[in-house]
Amino acid sequence: MRKIFPAEELARDARFIRQTNEQRLGDPRGARVAGGNTNERLAKLTPELANGPDRARALMHGIFVGEIQALEGAGRTCWDFEVGEDVPLALKLDMARQCWDEARHCEISVSLAEHMGTELGEFAENGLLYEAACNPDPVLRLTGVNRALEGLAIDVFNTMKEFGNLAGDPVLEFCEDWMLADEVTHVKMGSDWLRRLTENDKERLDKALEFQKVVDRLFSFNGFRGEDDDSPIQLTRRFRELAGFSDDEIDEIADMSREARVEAAS
Amino acid sequence: MTQVSVTPESFEMVFYDAAVIGEVVGEVAERLGVEESIKLEIDEESPLGRSKVTSYDPIELWVDGGALENTKRPRQFGSARTRDTIGRLLLRILDRRSGRFDETPADDELNLMQFAAWDVHCVGRLERLGIGGQRQRRLYQFRNRHGFTDLADAAFQQLWESSELSWTEIERISEGCRIS
Repeated sequence: MRKIFPAEELARDARFIRQTNEQRLGDPRGARVAGGNTNERLAKLTPELANGPDRARALMHGIFVGEIQALEGAGRTCWDFEVGEDVPLALKLDMARQCWDEARHCEISVSLAEHMGTELGEFAENGLLYEAACNPDPVLRLTGVNRALEGLAIDVFNTMKEFGNLAGDPVLEFCEDWMLADEVTHVKMGSDWLRRLTENDKERLDKALEFQKVVDRLFSFNGFRGEDDDSPIQLTRRFRELAGFSDDEIDEIADMSREARVEAAS
Repeated sequence: MTQVSVTPESFEMVFYDAAVIGEVVGEVAERLGVEESIKLEIDEESPLGRSKVTSYDPIELWVDGGALENTKRPRQFGSARTRDTIGRLLLRILDRRSGRFDETPADDELNLMQFAAWDVHCVGRLERLGIGGQRQRRLYQFRNRHGFTDLADAAFQQLWESSELSWTEIERISEGCRIS
């Protein structure tokens, strides 16, 4: 079986339509994000919005395809690297555990889609998460996926959990809470392995953190994820601390988001 | 067939064809028995899904480009979504003309709960005519406005299955299941 499986060849049935990054970013109406579009000055996602339930449905579908890709990415990490030469066995065991979590999240997301009235494949799929999981350096891969993208997942799950709470929807609230707990563990795995594998390699650490920033920026369209009250997705400081982020690192993400918002508004 | 005029006549941001849109709108109008001409204005810059009746007589409709979009293929026209959007607007017009909706507040005075309840009654009828559907999506929206309770689900069922409710009946059903 080949190593580093290309994103274009991921197995999907006819229900799923892939939207490339070029198509997504080339949409003159703004890229799709947080169940809406960057150009529409997205408000914080709450049930009180006229399009709140539909935005939640679209976002939940984005989470669902993200779970599939996270499963595929963690699975590839188990296979793509050799124990001893590339990674310790314990890292592969963590990735195997993550596969189990992501598979469960896929099943939960399918049930939530049914609950919310969404057909599987109803919205276009973007493959950026899996593309970040194709980095040939395991440290960069774990930093990009587990810290940047799973970090974003923490913020998204917490926002969806609050949405469920405000709507009085116990199914959504509890499902998001359970998945959120797993995501904190995944991000913590990324933080721990980043530190352990780069303990004596400052250059590799810097490269990994730079890669994380690139991925974070790619997912920070117009600063939709931030700490301001009206940010569509709320940056979740407490859970990020639990996942091994330092205050400085969280401040940096918040600043990046704020700058992106100012830039978008001008 | 119903005369439909679509504005704009050509699109720059989305890959829509005004003639195709006119055909789909005309087909829905015919199925609902609307014979008069329809003006449809589309804001192609907006990917949102808002829609409204800007004039009841003559019939003039306004929609975001996103309300006619194929969500699987962004920027592409979606006929199923268009049938749902236009069908709901035309049924609202027919309801208001029926005499059963004389006490209905103006559209911009309706709250989210009232809109959700009326939409359920519209889409239920559209589904039986083979025009629209997405029952579970409408149930989810209705629950968001009325509560995730058995009472709200029973109210939804009544709104969905009824063929000719009046505004007073829709209001009674909606109010009867709201969480205070």
